[in-house]
Formats: sequence, structure tokens, C-alpha cells
Amino acid sequence: MLPLSYSIRNVRARPARTAMTASVIALVVVACSLFLGLISSLKHTLISTGDPLNLIIMRKGSDNDGSSILQKEAFEAIRYFDGIARDTADNPLVSPELVVQPFFRTRDGGRENVLVRGVEAVALAVHSNVHITAGRMINPSSSEAIVGKGVLGRYEGGELGSDLKFGRGTWKVVGIFDADGSSFESEVWVDVRELANDAKRTMPYSGIRMRAASAAQIEPLKQRIEADPKYALQAQSEVEYYSKQSESANSLYVLVIGIAILAGIGAGFGAANTMYAAVQARTAEIGTLRALGFSRLAILTSFQIEAIGLALVGFVMGAVATVGLAALLRLWLGGLAFGAATFTTNVVTLRVGPRDLISSFILSIAIGLVAGLGPAWRAARMRPVEALRKA
Amino acid sequence: MKYAGLILANLGRNKLRSLLTGGAIMLAVLLVVLLLTMPAGLDAFLDQIANNTRISVHNKAGIVYSMPFSFTRKVRQIDGVAAACATVWFGGAFEEEGRVTFPSFAIEAEHAAAVWPDYNIDPKQMADFLRYRDGAIVGRQNMQKYKWKIGDRVTLKSTIYGVNLDFRIVGEMPNDRSPLFWMQRTYLDEAVKAKRGTGLSMAGVIWVRVDDPNRVNAVMRQVDEMSRNSEAETASETEKSFFGNFFGSLQGFVTIILIVTGLVSLCIVFIAANTASMAVRERSGEIAVLKAIGFQRKTIFATLLAEAMLVASVAGLSGVVLAIAVTKMLRAFAGWNPSLGPLGAFIVTPTVIAQGVCLSLVVGLFAGLVPAFGAARKPVIEALREIF
Repeated sequence: MLPLSYSIRNVRARPARTAMTASVIALVVVACSLFLGLISSLKHTLISTGDPLNLIIMRKGSDNDGSSILQKEAFEAIRYFDGIARDTADNPLVSPELVVQPFFRTRDGGRENVLVRGVEAVALAVHSNVHITAGRMINPSSSEAIVGKGVLGRYEGGELGSDLKFGRGTWKVVGIFDADGSSFESEVWVDVRELANDAKRTMPYSGIRMRAASAAQIEPLKQRIEADPKYALQAQSEVEYYSKQSESANSLYVLVIGIAILAGIGAGFGAANTMYAAVQARTAEIGTLRALGFSRLAILTSFQIEAIGLALVGFVMGAVATVGLAALLRLWLGGLAFGAATFTTNVVTLRVGPRDLISSFILSIAIGLVAGLGPAWRAARMRPVEALRKA
Repeated sequence: MKYAGLILANLGRNKLRSLLTGGAIMLAVLLVVLLLTMPAGLDAFLDQIANNTRISVHNKAGIVYSMPFSFTRKVRQIDGVAAACATVWFGGAFEEEGRVTFPSFAIEAEHAAAVWPDYNIDPKQMADFLRYRDGAIVGRQNMQKYKWKIGDRVTLKSTIYGVNLDFRIVGEMPNDRSPLFWMQRTYLDEAVKAKRGTGLSMAGVIWVRVDDPNRVNAVMRQVDEMSRNSEAETASETEKSFFGNFFGSLQGFVTIILIVTGLVSLCIVFIAANTASMAVRERSGEIAVLKAIGFQRKTIFATLLAEAMLVASVAGLSGVVLAIAVTKMLRAFAGWNPSLGPLGAFIVTPTVIAQGVCLSLVVGLFAGLVPAFGAARKPVIEALREIF
């Protein structure tokens, strides 16, 4: 076997060309990681919204809580079912909610549909990942609102203490909440009764969220709720509900895989060129090595390692650039807005995670492997006598 | 032209390298063109629907805040209004899919032809739409995606009203990119009345066609004034502004696409420049000989540059042609993706083609310029000394 240092020295021997080829691989890595990061951030935002203990109850046939309508009586009927978690004062953790999507004016003069959730105080106990980080919870019937972190600063009047205009009224922002990066952070919460009045809804609720006392209680609860003949309700676990909402992001993965394959082959061609040139330039050297007794396999491995080394340099450059670029984009653009399937805006924070980088790592190794194969094969097949004669 | 032979011979000297470089540039241009079709699809969509005499009237607070249906009649009386049609979001989903995969609306069938003359719906099919209470007119994109024919029956479940309705497809909107599904408002009204006791009393969006483009602003003002201080104040806007706002939330995605496009373009420059510099370095002795026997610097510069440009432009053009073929396939696969919207239309517009071709020319120029300049400037003696 040829020592590893031989390959490493060779990569370093022609810095300009190595840099150029590695940059190509680095750019492909940046492009793919950025896209992957975008999709996984989008999915994370949606999926992390669901709490494994929570159930979402809607009218049968609705596919999201924006299109569901429920009577007050339905809420009263299921509120005291067994198996629902209770707070310290023994009140069931059942949160009746109304979802409306009014227009909000963005700071740059645009207009977006924002999900406004009408809630009662119990909502904070049911949605355990929502925490008020500044200010306080709303008081009922006082035209107050709390806004998610993603809304903050994105819309006119979306700061603590300012007046937010949407629907028919004006709402005072009294608090800001975060929700572990989930899509709740793109929402505005107000008093459920006030919201129903503002939107002139005769039926006050669009859905009910409840917290099961334990995971074992979820199935029986679901069955009991769905068995109710009078109100035709459907119960679904929140996790299931939000993963379904995130399904439309899956087709984006196909897009990214396509991009990765095309860009990867292109970069592979470029790397192969560099490696062929390296083999050609080192004809005499290869001849000497063969004459000294190094086997074909040793030569093949050595050049293959060199190609992979080149790809690794590219990956490291690309990974560093991606992390930097993602941070820059977060600063420059803030959150990226996405129209969710329910036509409300989801503000997604772009984060390129380890999994996205691992995918890019695999891609760059594949580029190195495939690009090195042809040149390494050519080097291994060289006849020592002819190679030496050329020198 | 007399140097064409020299340029081609040089390219043919290392065929594998020329092919690899050409292939890399082709793939990268293909990728750039494919990425650019996404924002271009959005622009094309907005241009296509931008009928300059059609306006949307909806509640100022948002599309989900409806308006009284009776307001449509008042709008029709305004001077300058040629036609108005109230629409209601039906939110139709297939039982098996369980979610909304295309936009479906209940509309006032008798006013549709006058509000959307540019949809070019066959008048005979429009007459059928009016005749059958369960009739539906469907955009061609849906017809193709679900392999429907005129006369087929389909059942949609409304995610809004919780009713299942059976439809008879009586006509189509002859536009490959139309994902719409229209039904009669009266049909939905009856079904809702049967379920709840009260029918539909509201309208989601009222689409209005103005008889003269110069009166559009005046009509919008008048509509909004008429609704002022009522329960449902309206906001009118042109069709283009309406959809522009509607798809505004795709901007984040577009930004990322453009960044990635820029990165891939940079890739092409690097690949091409690397090859050009390799070629020049290997041939430095030859170039010195050419100079020694009297070739001028500018001739050498021009032939080297032409070599790089030739590879880039031939590869770039094949990339563009390949992109046109690939988008055809993508369109057949993707259909209407709710998270991509018109970004998933994948249409190669003339602008995108021009951008792809320009990119490859610029790449050839940039990649060839530096090595060619260096080779042309290198003193003959120095180059010859390196060989002998």
C-alpha cells in the first residue's frame, strides 16, 4: 500500500487546481444543504407543533381547523370526559378555539393571511410548548392580543405595547410567546369570544384541543368522542394532524434530490477532469512506483483516496460556507414566509441541521468516488515500461 | 474563420476532457434553467391572469371574512360594471386524498361567461353548465391530472360545509395550467339548506369586470365607498394585485431558489476556467512556437478564447434544450402542488431560455479570458526555455 501521506501531499501539491475543483464541490454542497435545510426547517416547524398527548377535535370532514365549525354544546358535551388531564384546580385541560385568517399588513407593504387563534386562558396549559417570554397573557374582553415570535416585527403594529389592526378591530399587543420553533410562533392569539364577534361567527368555535391524562387514554378518548352521535366530531392526535399538514413538503424533497443528482454529476465531471490531469502529469511517477513493485491495486487505491480527499476538502469548505450563509440569511431576511396548505403564512427560521449536512457529506463522498474511478483505473492500468519511456 | 480548424483540433486533442467539461456545463445550465422556471412560472401566471379590466371585491379584513351575497346585486348597478359574479370557496377534496388538492368554487353560473370571457370556455359547454344543476366546469390541468373526460361524474367532499356533492363534468377551461373547479352556487345552496336549514347568504370574493380599463380605478373606489360603515367593508383590487398578494408568501422560497441558482452558475465558471487553464498550461510550449513563427498575440488570444466559448456555448445550448424536455416530464408528474403553487408550473419562457444562453456565453468568456490573456502575454523566450 502507498502511504496516505502520498495522496495528501499530492492534493496539496497543486493548490490552485485543488482549490478550484474543491470549490465546485463546495458550491454544490452549499446549494444542496441550503435547500435541504429549508425543507427540514419547514417540516420541523409544522411537525413540532403537535404535542403527543394532545388531541384535536373538529367537525367530521374538515381537513384543518380553519374550515371546521363547532357548536358551543359540543364543547360542553365532551369537556368532562374521563381521561382528560386536569390542572391543579381540577379543571379539565380542554381548550375551545376559533381559527380565523385575516389579512395583516407586512412592514414592506405586502399583505399576508395570518392565523389568528381565539383562545381562553386554559390554552397555555393545553399547548405546553407555548411560553410567554415577554409581557403577559391576554385578559378576556379587553381587545388584547399576544403574538408569536415569528409575527414580531413582521407586520405593522406587531410589537409589544403597540396596536395591531386586523379583522374589524384594533388589538393591543400585551405579550410575546415562543413555541420551540413550531408554527404557533406564526400565530396571533386573542380572546375566543371577541374573535367570534369580530368575525361575526354564529358558532363560536372551530376546533377543540384537549390534553389526555396519559398516552394510554388517547385511544379510548378518541373513540368516545367520535361515537357521539349528535355532533359528528372527529378526533385526531395533534402529531398526526400536523404531520399530515407537512406532507405537502415531502414532494419538495424529490425536487432537491433531483437538483443534488444533477449538480453532483456536474461537479463529478469537473473533479474527474482534474484527476485525469493529475494522472497524466504523474505518468513517470506511476511508472516508477510500478517498477518499484507497488501493485495496481495500490495505485488505484491511492488515486481513489486522492479524489475522495479532494471531495472532502470541498465538503468542509461547503459546510462552513453553508453555516455562515444560513446565519447571514437569517439576519438579512429574518424568517422565511411560506404559504401553508391552509393558506396562512408560516414563518420559518432557516436552520441547516446536522442531518442536512450529513446528506451533503454523502453526496460529496459519492462525487469523489465516481470522479476518481476513471482516472484511478487509467493510472492502475499503465504499463510500467511505457510509462517510464514517456518520461 | 480560417482558424476554425486549429480550434477544433485543439478541442479534439483531449476528447475526454472536452466531453467532461461540456457535460458539466450542460448539466449546470440545465439546472439553472430548471430553477429559473420556478419564479418564471409565478410571473407567467400573474401575467396570464392579469386581465386589466377584472377586479376582485372582498372583505377588507380578509378573504375568510365574507360579504353579504346581496352586495353582488348592488355592485352590478354601479356605472361601468359590465358583469359581476359572486364566488364561494367550496374546499372540495376527494375522499381518498382527504385534503384539498385543487381550488374549487361555487359560482353564479349565469354571470361566469361575462366575467371571464378570456377563459374561452366553449359557449355550448357554458350552456350545459347552466342547464344541469350538478354541472361542473373544470380546468384542463385537472382534467389531465385525473384523466377526466366531459360527461364524467365525480364526487367531492366539501371541507367547509361538510357535504358530499356529485358533479357531472360538462365543460373545461381550455388552459393547460388551470387547476380550477367550478360548480353552480344554487347547487351548493340547496345542499347546505338541506343540511343546516339555512342556505348560503354570503359571498367570499365577488369578481367584477369593468367595461373600460380607464374606469377600473373609479369602479373600485365606488364599490368600497358603497360598503363603508356597513358590516362588511370591502377592499377592491385588480386581479393581478390580488394574486400577487396571494402568492406573496412564496417569496421566501423564491429567494432561496435564486441563491442556489447563483451558486450553481458560479460552479460552471469554476469548472470551465479550470479546464481552460489546464489546456493552456499543457500547450504553453506550442503557443510559444506559434508566437516564434510569427503568430500575433491577438490571434493566439482569440483562438484560445474561442475554444473556451465554443465548449461553453455548445454545452449551454444543449443544457437549455435538455431543460425544455425535462420540464415537459416534470409537468406531467408534478401537477398542482399546494406548497409550490405556480412555482411548480415548470414552464420554460423565452426569458428563461435567453438567460440560460447568456449564462453559457458569459461563462465561456470569463473562463477563457484569464488563461488566454496569460498565454498571449507570456514572453516567447520564457515559454520555450521551459521546454528545452
